[in-house]
Amino acid sequence: MSLRVDPFGPNAVLVRFAARGELDAFTRCQALLRYLEQHPPVGLIESTPGMTTLLLEFEPGHCPQPEFLGAILADAARLDPDPLAQPRTVEVPVVYDGQDLDAVAARTGLPVSRCVELHAAVTYRVQILGFCPGFPYLSGLDRRLHVPRLDTPRTRVPAGSVAIGGEHTGIYPVSTAGGWNLIGRTDLRLLDPEAALADRRDAFTLHPGDLVRFVPVRHLRDQSAPPPS
Amino acid sequence: MNDPVLELISPGLGASLQDHGRRGWKRFGVPPGGALDDHAACWANLLVGNPLHTPVLELLLHGAVLRVLRPLTVSITGAALIPDAEGLWRTFDLEEDDEVAVPPPESGVWTYLAVRGGFLASRWFGSVSVFPRGGLGSALTARSLLHQAPHAPPHSPPHIGRRWVDPTEQRNYAHPPALRVWPGPQWDLFPEAARDRFFSQPWRISSRSDRTGYRLDGNPLSVSSVPLPSEPVLPGSIQLPPDGVPIVTQRDGPTVGGYPKIGVVDPADLSWLVQCRPGQEIRFIPATCPPLPATRPS
Repeated sequence: MSLRVDPFGPNAVLVRFAARGELDAFTRCQALLRYLEQHPPVGLIESTPGMTTLLLEFEPGHCPQPEFLGAILADAARLDPDPLAQPRTVEVPVVYDGQDLDAVAARTGLPVSRCVELHAAVTYRVQILGFCPGFPYLSGLDRRLHVPRLDTPRTRVPAGSVAIGGEHTGIYPVSTAGGWNLIGRTDLRLLDPEAALADRRDAFTLHPGDLVRFVPVRHLRDQSAPPPS
Repeated sequence: MNDPVLELISPGLGASLQDHGRRGWKRFGVPPGGALDDHAACWANLLVGNPLHTPVLELLLHGAVLRVLRPLTVSITGAALIPDAEGLWRTFDLEEDDEVAVPPPESGVWTYLAVRGGFLASRWFGSVSVFPRGGLGSALTARSLLHQAPHAPPHSPPHIGRRWVDPTEQRNYAHPPALRVWPGPQWDLFPEAARDRFFSQPWRISSRSDRTGYRLDGNPLSVSSVPLPSEPVLPGSIQLPPDGVPIVTQRDGPTVGGYPKIGVVDPADLSWLVQCRPGQEIRFIPATCPPLPATRPS
């Protein structure tokens, strides 16, 4: 497994690792995170995963030599997946009425109903959380649904929007600007502000490694209480 | 909570409480937050004898008006110079019912106001920095009341109300130095001509700039159109979307992104950049390169 550590400014390094597919990338990344949690270098303040990258940020003056980190992490990345980690499955009810659904159908050459079928047929894995608080990048999207992001991102995407962009599907936990194609909406709340006040990790409904299934529904249970916007 | 010390009569163009930001939540997609100009924010705290990263009030440009609810010592640093401050960053003793109105700064964008002990406010994932879109707190508005944290008796001189900062530490935001830039993860993907152009041309701060990112106007750079797998982003990262117009990520910006990053502004120089106004010109210079390349075990 090849791994490369480059400086990213004076106080951070970007670890890049090669992976055979997204499951392998996820496993490698989790192995690195687990290693760093068990053997934290002095001054490490943030470890942020990307798809095939891991950003390590340090207190000023504490960033180790990239060569040294590279040698240690190359070993760590070979570690096996955590045998105790049992993925949870979370079901997400979706009304498939997103405003880009027709455009997605046109782009893929498939009928809308087939696009929905393909999207709901897969069990996805939360690859990373990122972009905005609690936004899950879900891997496993059917190749036929790989469509580019919008040329011009929308300035406001409603919270609860289910969207696809490139190789991934995701759910907007909050109302924000965004460039993915909107295909549906859910009332599943992904971010709990009360828990955020108490610094609790369960503020986030979905965590990396969780499995997600989208369940098509006609109506969301609680029409009167849309997700916060 | 104890009695409030200040009432925000008007937030002006924008007001929020900020500290050093949160740590350890970026992997959940939560941006760090925190004072954009940490140089000025730290001096505001030092003036009133606080630890450097105590919560302060961050004010955007002009228009904020505060009413004092009980006798209080405050410090003011950053863009706005208060009329009777003799042009210095300093502290003021204020009496009940005094009003502090933030005048239009001659240069700079952000003004910081600190009270002894700091402001007391809810902490979202460990920071007072709010993220209203996600329901993590709400922005300060007219009539917002500000509370002071309890603090120990001062160890500082009796005339803390007239303290000042060495003028050489005060910045003239109209004349920022050339800002140091380290190579970003996609440095090698940019053609040499684009990299040269990035450093040789002056850039102007775009009016489409805020706490999430500062856009730069200038001659767009040519960018490879191959989308990248999403990658973590640092404050100061210089991202290039397909239109070739750079965006310098700030402390409320997205935690990951798929645009190539030509470089990252040195953290010490980011506090200069954020104080530059729309239309103001800035230049970049290469920071001294750390040793390359990194380890490549097989």
